[in-house]
Amino acid sequence: MLLELFEWLGKDLRAFNVFSYITLRAVMAAMTALVISFVIGPWMIRKLTSLKIGQSVRDDGPQSHLVKAGTPTMGGALILTAVAVTTILWADLSNRYVWACLVTTVGFGVIGWIDDYRKVVHKNSKGISAKTKFFWQTVIAATALSYLAFRANLPQQTDLIVPFFKTVAIPLGAFGFIVLGWFVVVGFSNAVNLTDGLDGLAIMPTVMVASALAIFAYVAGNKVFATYLGVPHIAGAGELAIFCGAIAGAGLAFLWFNAYPAEVFMGDVGALALGGALGLVAVICRQEIVLIIMGGVFVVETLSVMIQVASFKLTGKRVFRMAPLHHHYELKGWKENQVVVRFWIITMMLVLFGLSTLKLR
Amino acid sequence: MNMRKAHEVKVWATLTRGAVLSPQGGGDQNLHVRFWIITMMLVLFGLSTLKLR
Repeated sequence: MLLELFEWLGKDLRAFNVFSYITLRAVMAAMTALVISFVIGPWMIRKLTSLKIGQSVRDDGPQSHLVKAGTPTMGGALILTAVAVTTILWADLSNRYVWACLVTTVGFGVIGWIDDYRKVVHKNSKGISAKTKFFWQTVIAATALSYLAFRANLPQQTDLIVPFFKTVAIPLGAFGFIVLGWFVVVGFSNAVNLTDGLDGLAIMPTVMVASALAIFAYVAGNKVFATYLGVPHIAGAGELAIFCGAIAGAGLAFLWFNAYPAEVFMGDVGALALGGALGLVAVICRQEIVLIIMGGVFVVETLSVMIQVASFKLTGKRVFRMAPLHHHYELKGWKENQVVVRFWIITMMLVLFGLSTLKLR
Repeated sequence: MNMRKAHEVKVWATLTRGAVLSPQGGGDQNLHVRFWIITMMLVLFGLSTLKLR
């Protein structure tokens, strides 16, 4: 929205042309989302508290978590509001990738919102059934991916790019693109949701991965950089740097309130939406494998749950003291803070490794 | 208490407000993370000077 305004103002005053640069708008988006979240945050926490929208803690979780019961949840609505408003303000609204990401993120947020609402109203930590959640996630992801697949006019927009190999690109076709994209988008949405079990554990890796994806989006959208670095050029994908910047800014501001000891939790409304957003940006930029590397913490947390369930069903034995993985380390004696900050450090290393794939190919 | 000291106490109280009010306690950790966030915001602002000139 502001882009059109600045373009119009730029006709008379050239200084406004600086806002046509994606890099600057991405930074401005991050700052705007930060400010919006800081302004709305305290009000929203007070509102959630007064409405008694408090987290119900899983009764089979670690005992130390019982003190968290009653902490306001659904704080993800704050992140979504900031991301949506900021993206509409700073991004090019004629860009189809921006709308695909925005609609998918809000759609996943709505699923999460319904889930959280049921948890809060029925005072049951289970929420809506996994099947129902999964079905609606699939509907939203498949719709967005089909739209992208059938609007793609170049093979590189649907090929699977293998990091570290400059010339390896596996043609997927429209169907393969949708299937792989569904796996990444829905998988990441649930992975972030599973990781969101300790104060600040999910949001900081989300901020880091979103920041890195902003760089990937910018490179993919810039023909010169894309050619130089040997990554597929996706015309228009650069605008997603603004969307990612908004996620990073809103996420950082949310961390202010979510850091241990949390004043608010993001809930499914935030976790499902943010995971879906990261997944879809990576799919558009053709960086699915790099996302799996950078979001390794989310992937490992999900795998820990799958391994635990499979092992218990097959052998009757547990591999971990408790799943997801962060509870395992808590029960091993790590303090909540230690688990959180160490997982952040691991994510930072993985993000750096992921970024290195831009050059190492 | 002089003016400067009163101001410092006020700033400290504002920064630690969430931590003190939280039922979980643990104000130190909260403060660390909030200082990291401030640093990250300043870094972001610093980076924007690359373009804003």
